Amino acid sequence: MARPGLATRLYQGEANLNIVGRRKLWFTIAAALIAVSIGSFVIRGFELGIEFAGGTSFTVPVATAEGKLTQEEAEQAVERAVTSVDPEAEVHAAQQVGNGDDASYTVRASALTAAEAEEAKGALVQDLGVSAEDVSDNQVSSAWGDAVTEKAILGLVIFLVLVVAYLIVRFEWRMAVAALASLLFDLVMTAGVYSIVGFEVTPSTVIGFLTVLGYSLYDVVVVFDKVQENTRGITAGSTRTYAEATNLAVNQTLMRSLNTGLVALLPVGGLLFIGAGFLGAGTLKDLGLVLFVGMGFGVISSIVLAAPVLSSLKDQEPKIKAHNARVLARRAQRSSDVAPKAERARAANATESDEVSVLAGGTTPRPGARPVAKRNTTRGGGGAGNRPGGKRR
Amino acid sequence: MHPGRQLAVLGLVFVVLYLAVFFAGGAKGSFTDRLEPKLGLDLVGGTQATYIASQQGEPPTQEAMKTAQEIIESRVNALGVSEAEVVIQGNNTIVVSLAGEAEDQLKDLSQAANMRFRLLTGVTGDVASTAVNPPAPAPSASGAAPSASAPAAAPSGAAPAATAKPSASTGGQGGGAPAPSNEPSPAASASAPAAAPSDPAAAPLPLSAKNKALLADVEKKIGKSAWTAAEKLTAPVDLSTDPKAGLPFKAFSTLSGAEVNVLPAKMQFNVPTISCDQLNQRPNGAIDDPNAEVVACYSGAKVMLDKAEVLGDDIADASPQLDQTTGQWVVSLDFKSAGQTKWTELTRKAFNATSADPCYTAATQIGASAHCAVAVVLDKEVISAPEIQGVLSGQSQITGDFNAATAKELSDKLKFGAIPVNFEAGPMQTVSATLGIQQLEAGLIAAAIGLGLVAIYAFFYYRLLGSVIFLSLALSALLTFGALVFLGRTMGFTLTLAGIAGFIVSLGIAADSFVIYFERLKDEIHEGRTPRSAVPRAWHRARRTIISANAITILCAVVLYIVSIGAVQGFAFAMGLSVVLDLLVVFLFRHPIMTMFANTKAFMSPRVSGLGRVLRTQSEEPASSRVKEA
Repeated sequence: MARPGLATRLYQGEANLNIVGRRKLWFTIAAALIAVSIGSFVIRGFELGIEFAGGTSFTVPVATAEGKLTQEEAEQAVERAVTSVDPEAEVHAAQQVGNGDDASYTVRASALTAAEAEEAKGALVQDLGVSAEDVSDNQVSSAWGDAVTEKAILGLVIFLVLVVAYLIVRFEWRMAVAALASLLFDLVMTAGVYSIVGFEVTPSTVIGFLTVLGYSLYDVVVVFDKVQENTRGITAGSTRTYAEATNLAVNQTLMRSLNTGLVALLPVGGLLFIGAGFLGAGTLKDLGLVLFVGMGFGVISSIVLAAPVLSSLKDQEPKIKAHNARVLARRAQRSSDVAPKAERARAANATESDEVSVLAGGTTPRPGARPVAKRNTTRGGGGAGNRPGGKRR
Repeated sequence: MHPGRQLAVLGLVFVVLYLAVFFAGGAKGSFTDRLEPKLGLDLVGGTQATYIASQQGEPPTQEAMKTAQEIIESRVNALGVSEAEVVIQGNNTIVVSLAGEAEDQLKDLSQAANMRFRLLTGVTGDVASTAVNPPAPAPSASGAAPSASAPAAAPSGAAPAATAKPSASTGGQGGGAPAPSNEPSPAASASAPAAAPSDPAAAPLPLSAKNKALLADVEKKIGKSAWTAAEKLTAPVDLSTDPKAGLPFKAFSTLSGAEVNVLPAKMQFNVPTISCDQLNQRPNGAIDDPNAEVVACYSGAKVMLDKAEVLGDDIADASPQLDQTTGQWVVSLDFKSAGQTKWTELTRKAFNATSADPCYTAATQIGASAHCAVAVVLDKEVISAPEIQGVLSGQSQITGDFNAATAKELSDKLKFGAIPVNFEAGPMQTVSATLGIQQLEAGLIAAAIGLGLVAIYAFFYYRLLGSVIFLSLALSALLTFGALVFLGRTMGFTLTLAGIAGFIVSLGIAADSFVIYFERLKDEIHEGRTPRSAVPRAWHRARRTIISANAITILCAVVLYIVSIGAVQGFAFAMGLSVVLDLLVVFLFRHPIMTMFANTKAFMSPRVSGLGRVLRTQSEEPASSRVKEA
């Protein structure tokens, strides 16, 4: 039988990819990636921007012997001077201070030692042809104080505690744990990318990081909502193990996850494209980058990490354990007396066939299936007998 | 609810918002001026002020500079949700940059930050919001008055001691047992607000001529009857017995910080409609005068503080210490000899107080067990209010729920108080934008590209339904813009480039909630439901998902807004705003529009909605699945 193409099956929510079943694979990959990231935190650390690490600020006059400097020229002159001393140094945009004859530009650069700053100042004086006393250099502290970081972390901890409580009430503790695991994965991975590639961490990055946090949980909640729906009353039937029901939910929400991911990533892509492509550096690129990386991981982990973690946790629950055993026993029995093995295994795996028969108003219930009125099933609750008949939400 | 009615509500929201944009909150100037959001430092530049700090003529130590930076930062942040930049330059200069023309706001910042030790003589909940809008039925009033003893959350920037239950006691081993954590019941404090200030006869201090004029203005603004009523108050108005008791004082809630400041302290404390927000907006140095009783805020409650018997410069030293016997972090405090005498006197007064003393009642409301508490006030903030557990004649310890970091923070602040840092205001200058107009344009182009891509994708995938997405994105954008303009004017909310980028992203995330809804709709139609029945069913389920997912984002925004400071707080505000607007659009626009669409014939055509495709393929499938099933 010809199966429809993957795109169509995705569209129908019947891609039927075995995601939860391969959980060992995902866990191994995730563990490896996390190990690499954490290794990088320890070995390479992060490239902190001037806002965090502090830096050196240069002041140059607007009026020079050769006429007035533009903001851009001042910036470039400082950049030349600073990079001649320290090729790795970053230079920020110039800012004009004051108006009229006394006006000056201040340009912030990465932290330099006193000797380096003196050398850079000398180069700057020579380059611009101004007198030495008109150019000054100063150490500046971080604009992003420690207190801001401390309070933000405190806020995050409180938020995580509350969100876990919320998820426990709204779902159950296993789902809360799985959601938290996938969130931590996203955050570690995003930070890992920054550490490994050596992107500069700026306040925009931190803000983007916080956005990722909310988005990642949002994505997981969407998937878990469907899982919860599919597995409600699962122990009443014996067609699916918990892992299979979860896998079905993941498949059904796959298109939704991809869609939401895509729709959210498109504007971010626009930011990144303009920010990195046309402007080279700055706020837009910083934000675009962290969001793109973080939300990308968010979409992926909600599919291949959150649900598998959940099903591993659930499989430990005695009730679900017993249920799974019963399903498997029943399946083994059925496959030996009713159908050719290959066909049966396929049907057990390709659960959508059950549903379609129900949807099409299947009149011949399979053995073991309870009679279920057509209107009483949602696609999610699909398989006959998965839920006590007539129960409607 | 009828779809038309929801759309009408949305229309009303829209009209009210834009009326506010054009006419409320100090709108002035031409049509386009009124539509101008307040742009941030990076986009339009602003004003820069420098402050040279000194401690007794010397450049301050590094720790003192850090504390000074924090104090200036909290003063700046008290001006509103604007993203100010405060950096230390060199070893003694603090540079503050604010967006736009901000000379007036920056003028006030150079006030010296002083520390005062004041006996806590009264506590009353900050009930301003309930006092202004009392709940209609009387029975619910008892729950409405927030209790002073169980404040919900510490105000941002509060010292760790705010959440701990600190207690001070004589130093030495074993002397510093923490106070038992007996929390008075909320009912008790709600029904028995703190006693009146210890000395009701204390005459208000002589005011300067300027303040006198302001006071006269305020008196006029309040109105004669309310003023006389406020003057007659001897204790805070008890809202638990009469929820409407705050109404006569409604006019007080409109006063600015400077106006509140000229009111007698007693009145600031007793009038229920004066909120902590208003008190925090008083000019810097408002409660510096050691010879005056003052009102401050602590853990979300208003506190009445006695004259300052001990000043910051009486402190000799402070340091964090790990108590060897209890294994707890404490802050130890030493006074200079003259200061020690005053401190001993103050602690004797606090320790020997009986339940007849007003400070006793007040202290029990903030968790003290048997003695009065002394508030340590730095600048306008009560950084700690330990209960005095002995007559302290030697080294003192503040115990509480400290860890190494919070103990150091408190001792840094105490040390800072020991040598007052003076700020000398340097010149104020305008600064240009760091990013400039070209980056702003780039940001807007990025927004257009991003939204264009979302629209193309939506039309491709959902066909005509894409237009619902497109329309509601446009609507979200308009609502966001209106809110930004209005909030920029009233709350000082500034829009930086990062903020713009954030809103672009949030529009993308808003489109997400559509996808959830539409995919659900597809599922329902796939099952063979008619659009008419599928829409409400899909809505019912999708609503649950959307609310759960958005609840998390709102939770994140609220927690970060309350706890954090600076740029993170600004971010949290923007995030909360965009989610609320998203929910508004989902409930009041998308759902009614979809309900109306479902009643049209064209809705199911594959060309129009992109939904019919599900049906078509489905009709082909049963045969094949039968084969498989056999």
